[in-house]
Amino acid sequence: MNESTLFLIAFILYFIAAFFYFAFLFSKKENLAKSGYTFAFAGLIVHSAALILRTIESGHAPFTNMYESLSFLSWSAIFAYVLIEGKFKIKKAGPYFMLIVIGLMALASSPLMPKEATPLVPALQSYWLWLHVSITLLGEAFFAVGLITSIMYLVADSKEKKGVAEKSSLTAERLDSISYRTIAIGFPLFTLGGLVFGMVWAYKAWGTYWSWDPKETWSLITWFVFALYLHTRIVMGWKGRRSALIAIFGFLAALFTYFGVNYLLAGLHSYA
Amino acid sequence: MKSFLNIFSSVRLAIVLLIIITLASILGTLIPQHRSPAEYADRYGDIANVFIRLEITKLYQSWWFISLLFLFAVNIVICTLTRLSPKLKKAFQPKIAGEKKSLLSLKIKASFKKNQNLEKTRGDVQHVFSIKRYRLKEKHNENTTYLLARKKSLGLFGSDIVHLGLLIIICGGIISGMAGFRTSLNINEGQTIDIPQADFKLRLDKFVTEYHPNGSVRDWKSTLTVLENSTDILSRTIEVNHPLSYKGFMFYQSGYGWNWENPTLEIWAKKKKNPDFLEKMELGIGEKVKLSGEDLEVAVLNFVPDFIIGENNEIATRSLEPNNPAAFIEGWQGREKVFSGWIFAKFPDFNRMHSNVETDLSFELKDLKAAQYSGIQLSRDPGVNFIWAGCTFLMIGLLVAFFWPPREIKMILEESQNKTDVVAGGLATKSREDFQSEFDKIMESIRRSK
Repeated sequence: MNESTLFLIAFILYFIAAFFYFAFLFSKKENLAKSGYTFAFAGLIVHSAALILRTIESGHAPFTNMYESLSFLSWSAIFAYVLIEGKFKIKKAGPYFMLIVIGLMALASSPLMPKEATPLVPALQSYWLWLHVSITLLGEAFFAVGLITSIMYLVADSKEKKGVAEKSSLTAERLDSISYRTIAIGFPLFTLGGLVFGMVWAYKAWGTYWSWDPKETWSLITWFVFALYLHTRIVMGWKGRRSALIAIFGFLAALFTYFGVNYLLAGLHSYA
Repeated sequence: MKSFLNIFSSVRLAIVLLIIITLASILGTLIPQHRSPAEYADRYGDIANVFIRLEITKLYQSWWFISLLFLFAVNIVICTLTRLSPKLKKAFQPKIAGEKKSLLSLKIKASFKKNQNLEKTRGDVQHVFSIKRYRLKEKHNENTTYLLARKKSLGLFGSDIVHLGLLIIICGGIISGMAGFRTSLNINEGQTIDIPQADFKLRLDKFVTEYHPNGSVRDWKSTLTVLENSTDILSRTIEVNHPLSYKGFMFYQSGYGWNWENPTLEIWAKKKKNPDFLEKMELGIGEKVKLSGEDLEVAVLNFVPDFIIGENNEIATRSLEPNNPAAFIEGWQGREKVFSGWIFAKFPDFNRMHSNVETDLSFELKDLKAAQYSGIQLSRDPGVNFIWAGCTFLMIGLLVAFFWPPREIKMILEESQNKTDVVAGGLATKSREDFQSEFDKIMESIRRSK
């Protein structure tokens, strides 16, 4: 059993989970959602094994190139989703969320992403690689859950206003509150991993904790957007639509920090 | 003064500033920073001048961006302070008494009757709240008792702790910007250099590059010795991610290079008429070597790694890379200079000698070696401890704000005919669902206790 086989099995399990979740979406049979959850959870375990094996084989943290980091991001996304669904019972988010995960996994498996483990350049040889990247990506995974619940809020809200909403315990108001509570988990994680640990590592490796490198700047921009989300919500009482839109912008900023910066802007973070 | 406070205590202003700072930061990532004016002119044409004048080309250090950050910091201070005193009052001098009506208008509330007197009921309430780890304040008034039960009151101050952390970080940033200093040093093995702005020296004892099996660099390691008054104080080997810290100065391994200022050159002397003749010489700049069997000494006077003829016909080097290495050599017979000229490692056909005497000898620059120097980044940043302190406050504040929600329950117990009327209301700004269920449980146990 090697890492790529385990990765493939996890991918298939996520596919099956998505299938059950969509079956639930159309048939409304609760049991199907439960099966979806079970398969997603099974996928998470196999995926964990794949990441551990990758770490043992390569001798370094499993997020040093785009393939590894996409795989880890998918793992974080499933981890965050399993946690949030368990706590807030949002099985309706399952099908959409599984689509995101399958998209990430597909991107990771695409031939564009070199898969071989290469030795680490000197700057990446540090335990801060573990702390910085894993916690940042975990925070971003919660932002992804917040994205789905925010979009679902917008849909539910417009249905409720038109009076065409189906009866469900997952009302627009509840989706709004779940989005907030998901972001309340993602924001401290992102702050700690992305900004604080990033600064500590930058200081250890480059001799300066902040250099306005595009990736640094974009993670600050992401942080600003979520700070805006929290302040408009808590202090100014913005809820619902506007709040959901800011959460979506925040996720897009996080996505650009993770992806866009690497391909569109050059900087110090050129390795991953 | 009052209007100043009014303006800066507005959260709306904070949000507007945050949006402007965000947009400016985005602009700074779209336009490359700190490039040469020529590069901007090339990239943006006529607008380039406008960019340079508005300091968009060094946006994050520009007067207007720093002013925005400063306004934002002032805004945070005033916003936090104006909201702090009511919060402090609430935490330390809370109002205990209340009206039934106002409690019953809350979303989280309860009212019931207990078939026991006030004193007994009060005992039950105290017992239940102490199990649930609430702190109680009481006020008695004839046949009525007012109770205020609270826990996790620190949660009121989560956002203030976050803002304090941010301000410390901003202060740290200002200190770094004003008092911090960075420079890169290239040190050769065995070389001792003065550290700018410090009272000590640094010597590079050893520099090694380690490779992975596939040939890529694994690490650079420099063994450094700190000297004070010519005495060795300490020696340490630094590598990437493991700097040396001494008296507030940090030394980072940042790279390597070859020291082409002082290379060793291998020069071959040949004779056109005698193909068997070959003399190999190794010399550094300024060295002279006698050619065996000839009345001739060869000296290297100059060397450039990347030969170019400058504007005033001066010889210069285009870069510090050995792209077109060239050496200027002279031949001497006793005290008489017999020839001189440039020889090129990559273009031997261009070798030209100006001779005073007819000679059969020709020279080739065959090989060159240079010592590797270690690239070390030196920095002194007195702001950095503020940054770490600020980050600590920031994280504690976030955890408190999100995961330590303050809980407050007000109760009014009123006795009439040996029975007690109980009215209770709960206040929570965050995670109301959890609080509701805790509130219901507390009320249930008070109701049941005998």
